[in-house]
Amino acid sequence: MDEPQAPPFVPSAEYLARVKRFDDAVALRKPDRVPVASLAAFFVTRYAGLTNAEAMRDYDRTAEAWKYTTQKLNWDMAPPPFTIFAAPVFQKLGLRTFKWPGQHFGDNLPYQFVEEEYMLADEYDEFLANPSDFVVRKMMPRMATTLQPLGMLPPLHWLSSGYTLFMLGSAVAGAPPFAAMLRQIIEIGEEMNQWNGMQARLGMELAEMGYPMITAAFAEAPFDWMSDMFRGLRGAMLDMYRQPDKLKAAMEIFTDFAIQSALMIAQMSGNPRIFIPLHRGAGGFMSTQQFAEFYWPGLKKLMLALIDAGLTPMPFLEGDYTPRLPFLAELPPGKVLGHFDIVDLDKAKAEIGNIMCFWGNVPASMLVTGTPGQVKDYVKRLIDTFGDTGGLIVDGAVDGVPPDSRPENVEAMTEAVFEYGVY
Amino acid sequence: MSQQLIDAIVEMREEDAQAITQQMLDAGTDPLEVLEACRQAMEIIGQRFESGDCFIPELILAGEMLGQVTEVVKPRLQEQQAGQKKLGTVVIGTVQGDIHDIAKDIVAFMLDINGFAVDDLGVDVPPARFVEAARESGAKVVALSGFLTLAYDPMKDTVSAIKAAGLHDVKVMIGGGQIDAQIQDYTGADAYGRDAMAAVNLAKQWYA
Repeated sequence: MDEPQAPPFVPSAEYLARVKRFDDAVALRKPDRVPVASLAAFFVTRYAGLTNAEAMRDYDRTAEAWKYTTQKLNWDMAPPPFTIFAAPVFQKLGLRTFKWPGQHFGDNLPYQFVEEEYMLADEYDEFLANPSDFVVRKMMPRMATTLQPLGMLPPLHWLSSGYTLFMLGSAVAGAPPFAAMLRQIIEIGEEMNQWNGMQARLGMELAEMGYPMITAAFAEAPFDWMSDMFRGLRGAMLDMYRQPDKLKAAMEIFTDFAIQSALMIAQMSGNPRIFIPLHRGAGGFMSTQQFAEFYWPGLKKLMLALIDAGLTPMPFLEGDYTPRLPFLAELPPGKVLGHFDIVDLDKAKAEIGNIMCFWGNVPASMLVTGTPGQVKDYVKRLIDTFGDTGGLIVDGAVDGVPPDSRPENVEAMTEAVFEYGVY
Repeated sequence: MSQQLIDAIVEMREEDAQAITQQMLDAGTDPLEVLEACRQAMEIIGQRFESGDCFIPELILAGEMLGQVTEVVKPRLQEQQAGQKKLGTVVIGTVQGDIHDIAKDIVAFMLDINGFAVDDLGVDVPPARFVEAARESGAKVVALSGFLTLAYDPMKDTVSAIKAAGLHDVKVMIGGGQIDAQIQDYTGADAYGRDAMAAVNLAKQWYA
């Protein structure tokens, strides 16, 4: 028997008004009021009384918490819940690229990325000759202990005949460690289905409550992909000097990947906003010349491709982006939503005020240790600086609002747009 | 030759730096002179870092070159290097619960090439370890690193633990992505710094 079909989603007037408010700000048109929308992650569940460890494990309670906090704080869009991650999936994968609460840390710490050289300096040629084969047989075993038996596979093109597939492929599949891994992979998939099922239900329920989701997809700048995921900061920075051409060739591959995967998820989810968290391009990390040569070309190509497809790139410009403002000014006006962490506000206004909507940036230190009065003054300053064009959306500077923010400060951030932000 | 080695390092010519080092040693140059050239080169790189003319890639590559030179020079040093006199010891680490090491490593490196003995305790360091290390080494400066907002409370706890242990002449500096004057107040630290040279300058000031 077929599953009963859910009735099609009919957006409420409230939902449509929120989308319009957000879209107007992005397009540098004045909405009715300054929108407030946060990329908050663990703050959302903490505010509803869950520890971070619980949020990563108890999917249903996380969904309830998400609805509670979104409605209570009355933000214009719901924060993306995919940022929480499912600890049981990490656990079953034996994922070495993260440490997480309830496993490696206390219950209220966030998960943290473990940066390693998952690809070594002398492995570029192997990777570039055959990226998929390298990732399956070399990198995955390093990234996840459960996937170590993938290292038993022969080069995958060896399996390109019925004879070798039948003899060699099946023999590897039957080897006890490999077979055990395959059984474990089925469990991982089933666990992930639970998590994704919750995410889909939650998205629909939030929409029915009148809250659009900020984003459903993320992409990375190609340099960050190589630096974060493959080579580590140290490795990637040395590659800029020792093997720049190979680094660029690898980044080319991941520029195409970033574009294609973002387009695919945007199409599947129907959500046009793509979150692009940036890491190594901030001021202080590399020179302007290095940024222009290594970092900016791939990121710009990615953002322009998304804009061409009618999507909205939302770079999270973590760190100090003041020195990079002239680059951001190259982008087409009204198409990009820049989430800022640290930046000189007046320079940002002068250099990109007519280019992109400013999103942010109530300092983390203020939200965690300051007072509601300080927060309101800061939001007022943001409105005074950016409000004239309508190109402003309010949020904290980093992590949306940090998980350990004082609730009254976050509430003050929201109240401030109602008090000072009506156009 | 010394000047050539300095230029090669400062200009990030890694292969030249190795070749010139070898030539100097083959020509019978005192190994200490080679190391002195390295020290001068690092000083220039530190100044360029401070003035915004070089960045993390250069610090990392300079560190690599320094390591390469030291490796060939060391066997020839025998007894003669009695050990350079250090400006003082700095205990450094990323605070409890935080496993980010990039910024901490850069600060440690800059302190090292600027003449400090650095006691690097690594990441996820509990307050008691900082106290113990400061006590053992007699360090007058402790540097706390943290990338995330979760570092605020462990930094505060570490400052309190140092005070509670009676180490009243120990100064504490803090730094990291979300650290500012407000967090200096919150934690009770003596100072905060936005970058690695700020840490060096604070340490110099506190050891003056």
